[in-house]
Amino acid sequence: MPPIIDKDKCKKCGLCAQICGLDVYGPYEKDTVPIVRYPSECWHCNACVLDCPAKAIKLKLPLSMPILYRRLKGEDND
Amino acid sequence: MIDVKKHIIESDVLVVGGGIGGLMAAIAAADGGADVIVAEKSDTRRSGSGATGNDHFTCYIPEVHQCGIEVILEELNNSLVGGNADPYIQLKFLSRSFEVVQDWNKWGINMQPHGEWEFNGHAYPGRKRIFLKYDGYNQKEVLTKEALKRNVRIVNKTPVTDFLTYNGRIVGAIGIDITKEEPEIVIFKAKAVISATGNTSRLYPSITPSQLFNTGHCPNNTGAGRAAAYRAGAKLINLEIPNTHAGPKYFERCGKATWIGVISDVMGNSIGPFVDKPTKELGDITADVWHSVFTDKMQDGTGPVYMNCTETSKEDMDYMLWGLKCEGDTSLIDALDDAGVSLKRDMVEFTKYEPILVGRGIEIDEFGRTSVDGLYSAGDEVGNFRCDISGAAVMGRFAGEHASGYVKDVNNDGIDLFSHKTVLEAQKFYSRLYENKGSSTWEEFNHGIQSILDDYAGIRYVRSKTLLESGLEYLDHLEQKAKNELIVNNSHELMRALECFVLLQIGRLICLTALERKETRGMHKRSDYPFTNPLLNKKFLTIRRLENGKNELEWRDMRIN
Ligand SMILES: Cc1cc2nc3c(=O)[nH]c(=O)nc-3n(C[C@H](O)[C@H](O)[C@H](O)COP(=O)(O)OP(=O)(O)OC[C@H]3O[C@@H](n4cnc5c(N)ncnc54)[C@H](O)[C@@H]3O)c2cc1C
Repeated sequence: MPPIIDKDKCKKCGLCAQICGLDVYGPYEKDTVPIVRYPSECWHCNACVLDCPAKAIKLKLPLSMPILYRRLKGEDND
Repeated sequence: MIDVKKHIIESDVLVVGGGIGGLMAAIAAADGGADVIVAEKSDTRRSGSGATGNDHFTCYIPEVHQCGIEVILEELNNSLVGGNADPYIQLKFLSRSFEVVQDWNKWGINMQPHGEWEFNGHAYPGRKRIFLKYDGYNQKEVLTKEALKRNVRIVNKTPVTDFLTYNGRIVGAIGIDITKEEPEIVIFKAKAVISATGNTSRLYPSITPSQLFNTGHCPNNTGAGRAAAYRAGAKLINLEIPNTHAGPKYFERCGKATWIGVISDVMGNSIGPFVDKPTKELGDITADVWHSVFTDKMQDGTGPVYMNCTETSKEDMDYMLWGLKCEGDTSLIDALDDAGVSLKRDMVEFTKYEPILVGRGIEIDEFGRTSVDGLYSAGDEVGNFRCDISGAAVMGRFAGEHASGYVKDVNNDGIDLFSHKTVLEAQKFYSRLYENKGSSTWEEFNHGIQSILDDYAGIRYVRSKTLLESGLEYLDHLEQKAKNELIVNNSHELMRALECFVLLQIGRLICLTALERKETRGMHKRSDYPFTNPLLNKKFLTIRRLENGKNELEWRDMRIN
């Protein structure tokens, strides 16, 4: 599923496609909103989220990778 | 046929892999006067296991530690990166580790985020602490800039697939250009090659087997350097002792020591003997020592096992969240938020991850030299030394320094690489895959390899002669089928398909070396040899391919000096 690009915010600079460590975007076509061609190959490293100059990218963890947790304390002990 | 690019990319030193080790090697080689190329599979600014940061840098700072180097060496060998290493290399590494810390600090990686040399995490109560806490979120950007400043040329999006030798010495490498749909073969000519392709992920099923890329370390690192070095005749070492990491379930991510909590049972009670209350100085080292705590507790029904930060002080909790950012684990923080986890009252389940190769791989000497003339190696892909980020950084420097001297006496004039046997064979094989009329994807192939290794050469069951020999035969069958049945549509898929052949090759070497180790040691559990043989203490097993294609397996003593 990841990453998800907000087309309205995207400045079409292609930086995400360039820097992706996993090539999930594949070859980038200039001046376009990058296409996430290989979503299942995302490592969820957040590089594209961190580096996007337009803050247009979010990651979504697939349902097959839920974080498992249990509540120990009833209340927040701030 | 897939085209071979007409232009050969030539340099004195070719660095394969622009991760931490590769960039440090490139910088050192350039400082030594060499003309340097880095061939990188993705983009050096965000590639590899150190892509978005790290936060613990193992090192020895005499004025802080106030003890001799041997004391630190002992702590190193008691830590998660210890063992299976030659102490003479570890000592040389430690002796120059502070020098690299100072350079990184000067270049703009913050090694003193709180204004002093601060050591914590992965630590035993009352003992010397060897993990320097630093802020590595920008480490790849900084190292890339330092390399470019020295006129290192970086060739991104070009996975290297093989090394080229001539009369027994290295003369270059080949890779695939993946910037376009249509793959092209790229030839590199060099007097020395420094291989630094990192760990080997994707050999075994991840904790979520349907997600091939859910791995603790970078899943783009699939052992290309190890396999190419083996084919070039270099010795590989220590492949057969499995190594695992641990962390959150079901989102695999390294960075266990950055958590400030107690490894707890479901009631929130501490499981290990080291700490009851979490502090940033120590963390809880239980899982570094009792590697199987997570699976043991699942198997005996007293699990699950949790990372419990509910007793962590507010100050330490802030410190931990800051540390996770330095560590590059911002996506993990986002995922916890997204799941609605509050670390003050929720415990996060931890688990053991699948085996990967780190500190199992290419044999080097103290200069990073392999057993093939002109071929060097550094970082996670080395087999007789391991120290993760600082190991890659310091040993990368050693390899770069030595290679820049070595190339001065090497002459590659007149060697024609277009007609080199390895180039022609690769072109034929890659073209065959690309022109196959098959219908099986590389993902199926990767899953098949993982199933076989998990069942016949893994840690899920035991290992034995019959299991390992069966595994070897099944890998052969799978390889034959894959050669005929794969479908490869573009350069990206060709890269992935070739990764699988590499994984299969490495799997085969794991089986062969595991067969030869006729004892039980660590997670290498042989049902037909259920004891640890003291005669094999401090002995390492190497494997190398001879010119006649046969494998030579050899035992050697650990080298103290
Ligand atoms: C989340 C996380 C946190 C970590 N925290 C710490 C820590 O705090 N302390 C610590 O000591 N260690 C830590 N580590 C481990 C550390 O990141 C690695 O040990 C270190 O990056 C190893 O450096 P390397 O150069 O060997 O490999 P990498 O940095 O992984 O680099 C390998 C490079 O090779 C490239 N490559 C792979 N195949 C090819 C090919 N065929 N052709 C060309 N290039 C190729 C890759 O794209 C990559 O750029 C952490 C790891 C992770 C994932």
